[in-house]
Amino acid sequence: MTGTRTALQARGVRFGYVDPTSSEVLLAIERIDLEIPEGQFVSLVGPSGCGKSTFLKIVNGLLSNHEGEIELLAPKAKGSAHAMVFQDAALFPWYSVLSNVSYGLMCQGMSKKEAQARAMPLIKMVGLAGFESKYPYQLSGGMQQRANLARALTVDPEILLMDEPFAALDAQTRELMQAELLRIWAQARKTVLFITHQIDEAIYLSDRVLVMSARPGRILADIPVDLPRPRELHIKRTPEFVALADRIWELIATQLHAHGQPGA
Amino acid sequence: MTLGSLARPANRSPLGLLGWRPSERLVFGLIGFVVVLGAWEAASQLKLVKKVVLSSPSLIWDAAITDISSGVIFPHIAVSGTEYVLGLGLALLVGVLLGLSIGLFRRLNYLLDPWLSALYATPTVALVPLIIIIFGIGLEAKVVVVFIESIFVITVSVMAGVRAADAVYHDVAQSFRASGWMRFRTVTLPASTPYLLTGVRLGTGRGIVGVVVAEFLTSNSGIGFYIGLNGSLLQTARVYFGIILLGILGLVLGELVRVVERRFERWRPQIN
Repeated sequence: MTGTRTALQARGVRFGYVDPTSSEVLLAIERIDLEIPEGQFVSLVGPSGCGKSTFLKIVNGLLSNHEGEIELLAPKAKGSAHAMVFQDAALFPWYSVLSNVSYGLMCQGMSKKEAQARAMPLIKMVGLAGFESKYPYQLSGGMQQRANLARALTVDPEILLMDEPFAALDAQTRELMQAELLRIWAQARKTVLFITHQIDEAIYLSDRVLVMSARPGRILADIPVDLPRPRELHIKRTPEFVALADRIWELIATQLHAHGQPGA
Repeated sequence: MTLGSLARPANRSPLGLLGWRPSERLVFGLIGFVVVLGAWEAASQLKLVKKVVLSSPSLIWDAAITDISSGVIFPHIAVSGTEYVLGLGLALLVGVLLGLSIGLFRRLNYLLDPWLSALYATPTVALVPLIIIIFGIGLEAKVVVVFIESIFVITVSVMAGVRAADAVYHDVAQSFRASGWMRFRTVTLPASTPYLLTGVRLGTGRGIVGVVVAEFLTSNSGIGFYIGLNGSLLQTARVYFGIILLGILGLVLGELVRVVERRFERWRPQIN
């Protein structure tokens, strides 16, 4: 799957902000350098508050006053450079599934009719056929995240940014959605940068797991995941998988201890 | 008979056989109505209270029939209706635009907020002498009273609504590089609609207050005038009739707003 082009290159990315209550400058990201080849699935894991979501927001253009450089592939003619799959509750509650999924295309100025026609195959792809006219409150958490994923895929992004998309799901739905995501990823052939705090989720999904330090964030380790694909869920119980998980957990645990959060 | 209909519990309402089942809302509303009217009529018939003080449903009914068949009441309804529609219509137009602008533009908020707070807290009655000096005692004065009485609740509700949208929805819009207008149309406006409708609901009620206040203080027609005049003539039944007309207006408007709310809130789970 991995191509020769670089989908995302970050050089010396550093981000600080002024805390509104204490007026101190707080450093959220110390330094991030990374390179993701086209088509790769990369996860970013780290302790809470390490700046991983902040980094994703920088890549997504939601935060602009950072230092360093971010380089992305230029979008295709009718595509987008990047698209974000947000955490829970990010579907517009006042729009149907169809309107939500076609939102990105509407933002590009496409007519409603054309946008909806182009959204339909993606709704089918994520397994929501028949739910087009439902409102988000009528969907389960897993189905909402399917719609969320379809909404990001409609703009045909060069890189898909996923910000802990399954964090609010129950354990079983989460496992199911992980398997579903791999199925969809194999079909859509996108570069993915996936943020999570769940180590097994990161390993199961990814080609590479990047481990971040506690705040201010930097990348501690870049761990390749050489497990064969396609992966079934029971791969999580193989010795290779468990060994990887132990290794990553140890790295994160040292960070938690170093910052006085034993077992946090 | 199909098996499906046998499996369902028996339909106990006799009206249900005609394919119509009264909602609980309607049933309980009617029960409350009948109980109050029955007790009132009984108190009057048993001479527990003087007729001039409390009147009775039957006396009010007679007064209503008299004034409806003679046509006396209609010009009053027309006058009040005109004041109300003009005053509230203007308040809706200006209030929604003002609320949206203040909600969207921080500096406009800083500029206008003290004025809004001060005027919001001022009883409209206190402004009536001033309004008469400026606008005279014609239709304009009454429209202005209705306008002032109802505009602030509308403006304040819409202002709150503009800021009600969760930040994540703005992030989503920004992430898809939505234009400013697109963001307003797809995030700000839908998120503020429930607040806007609350403002409209409150505004319709306060508009009725405005009509009555204006007509009490300066008028020779309108339902408020009709109530005031008959009060001073000790025509208690007619006073109640006027009050009931206002109540009916409130009910009809409330239902109207409810219909609009349902149209705009299909995306919300219905809570009974």
